[in-house]
Amino acid sequence: METLTPKKTLIDGSKLMIEALAQAGVDTFVAYPITPSNWMYKYAKERVPQFYAAPDEITTFQWMSGMSAAGRLPATSSAFPGIALMVESINMAYAMELPMVIIITQRLGPSTGSATTGAQGDLAILNGIISGGYPVPVFSPSGFDDIWSLSEKAVQTAVKFRTPVFLLTSKEMVMHQKSFDLNRLKPIDKVKRPKPKIEGTYLPYKADASLVPPFIPLGDDEHLVRITASTHDEAANIRKNDPEALANTRRLHDKFINRIDELTIYDLERQEGAEKLLITWGITTDAARDALAKLREMGKKIDLLVVKSLLPVSPKIYDILNQYPEIFIAEENLTGQLKEILFGHAPVKNVKQINKMGNMITPDEIIGAIV
Amino acid sequence: MTKNKQTYLTDKKFPFCPGCGHGISINALNKALQELNYGPNDVIVVSDIGCSGLIDPLFATHTIHGLHGRSPALGLGVAMGVAQKPNKKVIAFIGDGGATIGLQHILEAARRNVDMTLIVLNNLLYGMTGGQISGLSTQKFKEIIDFEKDIPPFDLIQLAHASGSRFSVRVNAPNRIKDTLKKAIETEGFSIVEAASLCPSYGMKKMNELMEVVEHEEIFEHDRPATKIKDKPVHSLLEETPVIKPQFKSELKERKGILIAGSAGGGAQSVARFLALAGMHAGLETTMKGEYPITVGTGFSVAEVILDHQPINYTGLEKPDYFIIVTADGLSKVRNKLHNDAQIYIDEKLVDDDLKNQYPNLISVPFSKMANRKSTALAATAYVLNKTGILPVEALKEAVSSHRLKDIFLEVIEKVTQQPV
Repeated sequence: METLTPKKTLIDGSKLMIEALAQAGVDTFVAYPITPSNWMYKYAKERVPQFYAAPDEITTFQWMSGMSAAGRLPATSSAFPGIALMVESINMAYAMELPMVIIITQRLGPSTGSATTGAQGDLAILNGIISGGYPVPVFSPSGFDDIWSLSEKAVQTAVKFRTPVFLLTSKEMVMHQKSFDLNRLKPIDKVKRPKPKIEGTYLPYKADASLVPPFIPLGDDEHLVRITASTHDEAANIRKNDPEALANTRRLHDKFINRIDELTIYDLERQEGAEKLLITWGITTDAARDALAKLREMGKKIDLLVVKSLLPVSPKIYDILNQYPEIFIAEENLTGQLKEILFGHAPVKNVKQINKMGNMITPDEIIGAIV
Repeated sequence: MTKNKQTYLTDKKFPFCPGCGHGISINALNKALQELNYGPNDVIVVSDIGCSGLIDPLFATHTIHGLHGRSPALGLGVAMGVAQKPNKKVIAFIGDGGATIGLQHILEAARRNVDMTLIVLNNLLYGMTGGQISGLSTQKFKEIIDFEKDIPPFDLIQLAHASGSRFSVRVNAPNRIKDTLKKAIETEGFSIVEAASLCPSYGMKKMNELMEVVEHEEIFEHDRPATKIKDKPVHSLLEETPVIKPQFKSELKERKGILIAGSAGGGAQSVARFLALAGMHAGLETTMKGEYPITVGTGFSVAEVILDHQPINYTGLEKPDYFIIVTADGLSKVRNKLHNDAQIYIDEKLVDDDLKNQYPNLISVPFSKMANRKSTALAATAYVLNKTGILPVEALKEAVSSHRLKDIFLEVIEKVTQQPV
């Protein structure tokens, strides 16, 4: 293996995320400032070729949608209060099938909560954010390496699946600085968007076996493009609930679920003979890794599953869960939002929750719950 | 102007109620586009929700159909998105109900003055949901229905004009709509045309009745060039991120956490960053994070630095090994974290009997006498490094050496570390 001289720098996650998004092809950033996403706003203003300071979050999302429909590749960063305002527009962009990336930096809720306190409290809302329960891709980085690679993945997914994609992070992940070797960053490929070849009339919502319709932007000189958020057929004609329109609506679900393997990302750290599994995601991963190391030093056999593609839930995750008689889930929220998504609301005998809100879960708290 | 034979309309039948005024504006737009000779692929029609939102299937142009009240914002997004393609024209429609929801979007689009036209079809009410009043329902109309008649409507045209719209018109006479639209579309920048429209189902059934209750016509112009949209040149954020080479040796035996507690404007955050960089100059791994109130210019300013030879995962610091406390704000923020296993370095003025009794080993230092208010945290940190050997003072000097105020900082560090301790 080639050894490079380390290129150590002191860097924060916000900077890595914006740089990765820009390298991957994000060319437009629209945002309304909100703590703890303000560093991203600052970096994006400098780094992304077009940056717009929108007057509110609804406008933010409408501008993004218009620009996406016209062929640009927009992103924004916000936190729950801003996301709440965007929900109707997120549904619009989802139904229109417009590529874009939405960064959510989680902070303590409910409501305004505490803007400078981290949290993992917004997974539940993303699980139901599209009316009708349709899935939307949610990636959650567990550290700086992931911030880089999942930002690229988010951009690729947005284009490949013609969809809004969420990057779910949290205050502690993007607002602390860490010594970091830049050599760890793998080169990012800028997403390619070749113009699809269409014979005859372009039907904007007619998909092949990929279930994703080819994308041609508004203003195209060759084909007329129709885009709509209301229930529609392949030609974007608005329909009430006729079979063709319902088939198109169902496709919005199927395009993700039928291709779930392309959206599945996790780390599984296995140890021979382990019968316990610790599951975590996002910011709690740091503590979980420290806890895992100490538990193994103590001679405990335990595996660690870090889920990075949180939604839609991959069947591969269930396959892993089914291999363990005893499961622990650590996440920084009161009720266990990933636990509820994976196992439902009812208590499950072999699943123990490690939850906390208002502060990060510590390695010792994880160890204490397991030992 | 010669009229081309192109129609910008599909062969679909208008979906409006018999006698509805919306068709007049749609036909007028078609004629205006014919006279202006746009190609259908150059026109993007943006539609809203409500009766005026039924129009997108009618246009044989590009179309996009979004949410209620949002077509001015969606349309501006499209306009910004196509701005670098030549000769594209975005025309957004909205009703008076949508305009009430999206008032902010209209004012914002007017202020931005990017090339687009907004057509407001004002039939004084919500036709799709039962004839409820909107923010543009006039008082004369509300007298007839005897509801909220004392509340005036928004004057959308004046509002748009005041916000910077290049061309803003209210037109009531149907026979003038086409020419008004033509002028609006020719205007480079934001233009808005509010056209009076009949709603035979819930509002005025006849044109002469409608003319009795509408607001008077208005026309405003601004001599203001349209805002140009273009990509700015950018460069990688990583280019400006300095790569740190280890040049010093650390005597650190195991992971240590240092908490610096001061007040806003006292440099605690910068000093913590210097300390983290100093750690890297000494070959260590580090994390650094700050905590301060939302109102960043007042109150406490606390920063945590962790130093270790090993990579650091968890960044929390429940039990700092060192406290460097320079102000009362800082002390009150971290007081409940103090513990007797830590080395507590604190400004002498902050030490009271309670503190001394509870933490008998605390080290009282005249930090505030060592430097001015802005440099006290740096002086204190240099003092602690010198005293404890956590890191070589030279590493701290190296860390500040790329800062624009390095001369001042180096002087502070020199002064503190050369005096006998």
